[in-house]
Amino acid sequence: MARSPSLHVAVIGAGIVGAAAAHFLAAAGARVTLLDASGPAAGATGASDGAVSVASKKPGPMMDLARHARAFYGSCEADGLLRGLFHRRSTFLVARTRLEAELVAEHGADLAAAGERVLDVDRPTLLNRIPGLGDGVCFALEIPDDGHALGYEITQRLLQRSAVTVRRNAPVSEIVMRAGQAVGVTIRDELLPADAVLVAAGIGSVGLLGLGDILIPRKGQMVVTDRAAAGRPAIDGHLMAASYLAAKRGIVRDNAHIGLVIDPLVTGQFLIGGSREDHRADQATDAATISAILRDALDLYPPLRQRRVLRTFAGVRTASRDGLPIVGPHPHLGGVTIATGFEGDGICLGPFMGASAARMILGEAPGVDLSMLAPQRFSRAEALA
Amino acid sequence: MTDLAKTDLAKTDLAKTDLAMTELPVLVVGGGPAGVAAAVALAEAGLRVLLIEQRDRLGGAIHRQPAVGAPQIWRGPARHRRNWAELASRLEHVAERIELRTSTVFLGIDGAGRFLFDDRMAGRVFARPVRAAIVAVGAVEKIAPFEGWELPGVMSAGGAQVLLKETGRPPEGPIVVAGSGPLLLAVAAQLARAGNPPLAVLERGRPWHKPKALARLMTAGAPLAEAASYAAVLALKRVPCHVGSEVLGVSETGQGLTIRVRAGSAESLLQARHLLIHDGLEPNRAGIPLPAPGAEVPVLLAGDGREILGADAAILDGQRAASAVLSRLGHAASAAPLEAALSKARNFQLALAEALRSKATPPTPQTMLCRCEGRRYADFAALPADASAREIRLMGRFGLGACQGRFCGPMLAELRGEALPTANPPRWPLRPVSVAALANFSTDETES
Amino acid sequence: MNPCFYWIDRPVSFRPGETVAAALLRAGIADLSPEGGVVRGRVFCCIGACQACVVAIAGEGAVEACLTPARSGMRLSPQPSLGLRHD
Repeated sequence: MARSPSLHVAVIGAGIVGAAAAHFLAAAGARVTLLDASGPAAGATGASDGAVSVASKKPGPMMDLARHARAFYGSCEADGLLRGLFHRRSTFLVARTRLEAELVAEHGADLAAAGERVLDVDRPTLLNRIPGLGDGVCFALEIPDDGHALGYEITQRLLQRSAVTVRRNAPVSEIVMRAGQAVGVTIRDELLPADAVLVAAGIGSVGLLGLGDILIPRKGQMVVTDRAAAGRPAIDGHLMAASYLAAKRGIVRDNAHIGLVIDPLVTGQFLIGGSREDHRADQATDAATISAILRDALDLYPPLRQRRVLRTFAGVRTASRDGLPIVGPHPHLGGVTIATGFEGDGICLGPFMGASAARMILGEAPGVDLSMLAPQRFSRAEALA
Repeated sequence: MTDLAKTDLAKTDLAKTDLAMTELPVLVVGGGPAGVAAAVALAEAGLRVLLIEQRDRLGGAIHRQPAVGAPQIWRGPARHRRNWAELASRLEHVAERIELRTSTVFLGIDGAGRFLFDDRMAGRVFARPVRAAIVAVGAVEKIAPFEGWELPGVMSAGGAQVLLKETGRPPEGPIVVAGSGPLLLAVAAQLARAGNPPLAVLERGRPWHKPKALARLMTAGAPLAEAASYAAVLALKRVPCHVGSEVLGVSETGQGLTIRVRAGSAESLLQARHLLIHDGLEPNRAGIPLPAPGAEVPVLLAGDGREILGADAAILDGQRAASAVLSRLGHAASAAPLEAALSKARNFQLALAEALRSKATPPTPQTMLCRCEGRRYADFAALPADASAREIRLMGRFGLGACQGRFCGPMLAELRGEALPTANPPRWPLRPVSVAALANFSTDETES
Repeated sequence: MNPCFYWIDRPVSFRPGETVAAALLRAGIADLSPEGGVVRGRVFCCIGACQACVVAIAGEGAVEACLTPARSGMRLSPQPSLGLRHD
């Protein structure tokens, strides 16, 4: 299968996307060096919920891509690569006001139109599935085919099951070009020669490629609780409030807005998020935001009253100006491919997009049409010039 | 002290006065010797102080006061009682400038610079603006892990000592005290005097093999006299004290514990109800953000939470921290010659560490390192040798549990040969906090 | 007569001012392991650091036994599981 046994690819960024690309490049016979300023899963991958969720996606290309990406998780689970790390679980879209109910119903219709199974759930059924759910919940839909995976576990597995050379504490300062073609990357004083370069460095991609006008950081603050159950999810599904859909559909854009999700982790803990703070790339959390998240979470799911907060943390999502990821060859820098801008959808899309980027680097067509994600789309504008 | 607990300066609406900034209190976290000494020194200099203590009364671990009605079987060295009585009396004189909040846990500093506190009685997290902060939250005990250390019946020696001071009663049933450090002798002697002499004291170190360090210890004065008094009690009660001896493992058997002990190359079994373990002290620093020296709101460490120098030095170190804050805030600070005394305490601790220096038998793959998350040595050994701090946390799940790495952190540092890098920015809450209490936080309060 | 609280259904007497941890240990209750058995629980450090003695107060939530003053009538238990799934 190895068509270019001598091909050496430098992959910049050991998050879930970079790790997936590195894994599939190596599986196809390429020599791969995976570089990270810190280490695997050090950025958004290690600071995110684990929703492999179609239910949360904006209608249109993202919803379709998420369906492919979730199916890819399923096949990787089945073929052993991700065995034990991807779990099917339902997403419950829940509304607490009439207005929210209308939004959830509309989103449900969009999901159904995209081919997704959408189930009506009446309140008694819902209470049976999620005992203790708040009185305010007046409408809910179940998306039964969603799933869950922890980004850092996926990253670790992808690297364990490949011959990728991982270099930690290796910040790339520059992509070295010669005659319009990438010939390597600079790590401190070292030049690492490479035949191709994949930039999957999240917000770190901004400095490397001058994407400051195209990529924006969007901070999300989150909370992890103590265990509500031992070694299994404490409730039977991922609770996604209408406030989260409103943010994802672009109805609300406000740094103070809480898009509430309550994610029951396989450890028995809850991960509760989150804020959506544009242009914030720091990882600090503040009591005003965290307490607002918790008040909303208690309203939706009052049994959380008995839990303790073990830690708060923030992840920095990397969003593109038009809301779509950026995946494909750089329009002007030969041998440079980009895979970033996954916003809050990196865990869901990561393995599939990494595999797709690998195919592009190897000169193959990706399994599905990704032309809408091509970096080219920004090149008529100011950047990527 | 009970009157002080009622002192309530909270009604003053400071935020509305022009003097708001200069009238803001200096925060002192921790009501042990360092914290109380710092609070008293600041208040005596005329500053307002907000003194935070997690327990329902002051004292800390060393000056833990007995519960009402507890039998006063054994009351600790007279020197400690005198020191505490003097601090308590000075505290009374400046009580009107000290707002004492007991049953309140310091949660750290959030990304907006708020100092956050968990009021356990009110079930509410609150924030208070402060001019400066002195964090004096003492030490945590180090544990050299062995199979079974996480079992019920195994307790830290310091923990057992705190309980003994509070209740006046030793635990019932046979006790073994093991590990390394002067605390082993102290706790064993205190248990003996309270009526339950331990079966054995097992010290891993071999101080007799370190004559130079011993010679340095001989000049110590008060601590030496204290150690001699413990040794005398243990001799009187015929408690066997072994050096060069350690626990290799412990398992539950019926009502008690079976303890596998190594002495030299010989192994034996002991049956006991309680195993008290301790392998030295470490400053309890997890998650405390220390801003740059020029920061607008300085944060200083004091006492054993800064450097393990013991209870006597903690009082001086609290005064030192208070002086530093006073001069930062433009007040005249007393230039008492503290450094010489602190340096003497440091030399004593160094000699002690040298005298007892020993290497614990390495953990087996099954040995628990992180009790909170149930992570064993094998899980740590499976991580890549160059694993980043993030990987150790996420993949290894070390430092992710409820104790936030206070116990597995020093263990991993010992095994790796270097300290684990801390999260940046430092994480709040420093301690787990009730979801309901944190949800009760409101930003529009500056006073609570 | 001393006041008492309850550990599961068992009355545990305490002296005023005493912590939950002290009273439990005096009553011979050493095993505070949470339900579900991932980790063991017990009074260990007595300064609120190790989190091994966390127990649940009915109607309130989880607290460190070593920091919490005992109160008459409080109902304590190992940390519970909640939101159990029907499987």
